[in-house]
Amino acid sequence: MSVLVDIRHVSKKYKDAPRPAVNDLSLTIDTGDIFGLLGPNGAGKTTFISMLCGLFSANSGEIFIKGLTHKSNSKACKQLIGVVPQEIALYPQLTAWENLLFLGHMYGLRGNALKENIKHNLSILGLEANTHQKIVSYSGGMKRRVNLIAGILHNPELLILDEPTVGVDVQSKQAIIDHLKKLNQEKGMTILYTSHHLDEAESFCNHIAIIDDGKLITQGKTKALIEENNCQSIEEVYLKITGNRFRDK
Amino acid sequence: MKLIYSIYKEYKVLIRDKAGLAITFIMPTVLILVITLIQDTTFRSVNEASVPLLIVDKDNDSLSHTLERSLEGSKFFVITKKQLTAEQAKTEIAKGHYFIGIVIPENTSKQLREKSSNRISKLMNSFSGDSTAAVEEKQDTSTLRVQLYFDPITKKSFKTTISNSIERIISQIEMQSMVQALNETMSDNFPDAKPTKMETKPLVSLSEEYASYNNSPIIPNSVQHNVPAWTLFAMFFICIPLAGNIIKEREDGSAFRLLTMPGSYMIVILGKMITYMVVSLIQFSLMLCVGIYILPMMGLPQLNIGNQLPVLLVVASSAAFAATGFGLLVGTIANSHEQASLFGAVFVVILAAIGGVWVPTFVMPEIMKQLSVISPMNWGLEAFYGIFLRNFGFKEILPHVVKLWAFFLVALGGSFCYQKYVRLK
Repeated sequence: MSVLVDIRHVSKKYKDAPRPAVNDLSLTIDTGDIFGLLGPNGAGKTTFISMLCGLFSANSGEIFIKGLTHKSNSKACKQLIGVVPQEIALYPQLTAWENLLFLGHMYGLRGNALKENIKHNLSILGLEANTHQKIVSYSGGMKRRVNLIAGILHNPELLILDEPTVGVDVQSKQAIIDHLKKLNQEKGMTILYTSHHLDEAESFCNHIAIIDDGKLITQGKTKALIEENNCQSIEEVYLKITGNRFRDK
Repeated sequence: MKLIYSIYKEYKVLIRDKAGLAITFIMPTVLILVITLIQDTTFRSVNEASVPLLIVDKDNDSLSHTLERSLEGSKFFVITKKQLTAEQAKTEIAKGHYFIGIVIPENTSKQLREKSSNRISKLMNSFSGDSTAAVEEKQDTSTLRVQLYFDPITKKSFKTTISNSIERIISQIEMQSMVQALNETMSDNFPDAKPTKMETKPLVSLSEEYASYNNSPIIPNSVQHNVPAWTLFAMFFICIPLAGNIIKEREDGSAFRLLTMPGSYMIVILGKMITYMVVSLIQFSLMLCVGIYILPMMGLPQLNIGNQLPVLLVVASSAAFAATGFGLLVGTIANSHEQASLFGAVFVVILAAIGGVWVPTFVMPEIMKQLSVISPMNWGLEAFYGIFLRNFGFKEILPHVVKLWAFFLVALGGSFCYQKYVRLK
């Protein structure tokens, strides 16, 4: 399998922060992986994702996405990425259709292809009947589903999901996970997934990395990671490695 | 295409935000109506037909009647006649019931006629060579007194203006009385003559007009000041919804998503700017319509926008750019809605105050006049004054337009630098 994302000795320290948010982090994500990035609050996940998305650059190290860097070709790099933020990053006063049409255009999509794409995704995620309803009137689960569609409209090669199922009911959660698995299997979409739902991560991801204090603690195939650490689940591995200390005090 | 959809999105968001729309359009309309009405009343109390005046007429003869008619004819006063003592009249004025009181003592007309007659007789005698009569006649140097009382709050300049007006009317009456006495004396001396009536109207009159550029006949008034002033205020007040829009996108993760898209965030910002600029121009047009059509319905003068429409559009667009640039800067720097609302509102009010929106700069103290030139609202207002009152062309308003554009570019540059070097660091 080819490497899609190659992170080499990346460090990032915010101004006035006592320690680096990301400290000499190196890892690779293969094409077609469902890669779980786990870690306690304040471990550096958000900083890492922000750098991967090209929001800001690292103090040192390099990030390659399909051989490209944000420094050398930011536009092409960003075109490869789809992002589903933890927040419902939609305009509440607009309908799902209007939101997706706008975001699709921002990715450079247009015309009937875009409209068909939106209809198809809304239909798969059970939102066809609510297409022209304002987002403000949607339930939490419905908003999450539209939030997901907004990130996959342009068929990205790398989909970054930040807590995609937080605060939703079991049905919505299942619909989202099923759709993501389908995208991975049918379109070969690589997924970078962060969550605090460790059981969900265990069942969903085929590869997991755990970071803490900005450093990579461990990574590997999900099952191998459980076996290597003589544990029953990823949650056990996680607690064994990261301990019980609060990180966000 | 991206830009068009970005503008379309902003339009949809804006059109569905009823509270935001109310702030954007209703607030400035109400402000213009209320402030113009209030200021117009203030202007009228000093300038036009509403100075309350008390006349105590103990004379009830030609002088008092002519004086009253002349005062009425000036359309400067609301006249009330009362039979009071001088002391009572003074008390009425002191209480603030009237701005001015005129007490005309008993027999003033009769004494004026006698004095006029005496002076004319003396003059005629001196011509006829009867010098002894002139010498023997006791010199009458006393003057008749018409008492004026002024409210203590009256400004000195206003008091002088009123005194001069009344004095001029009395001088005319005096002259008429002298001419009358001369006519009578001449009739006595030349019983067969049939003299024509002497014209007593002034031989020299003043021709007044405002020295406006390009022969523009527009007269400044509260409407000509308040409509452009409060329109500019409203245009700059747009910084609050615009900043709120930017902060909301940042808080709900939309900005994060847009920043991860290829080259999209700048387009989104451009879309916002264009949308809010159009809103500013709609605001401007609406306020002009209020000045032209609504204010006259309320008894106020009609707004005259001069005849330099293209120049007016250039100034309005420049002011709209400056206002949106400011909104962008506030939205980028502020960390929360509360910060943006407070900072934006207070800053706009300060800019308005020093820029001459509330109180025109020409009545400001010298130090404030000098300070006013730092406010972009002052640049816009001066440009509008130029177009409305002086019929200025593009060349004359260019310095103001350049300053507004410079403000916009500095604000834009500041917000991009802050976003790049502070927010994304």
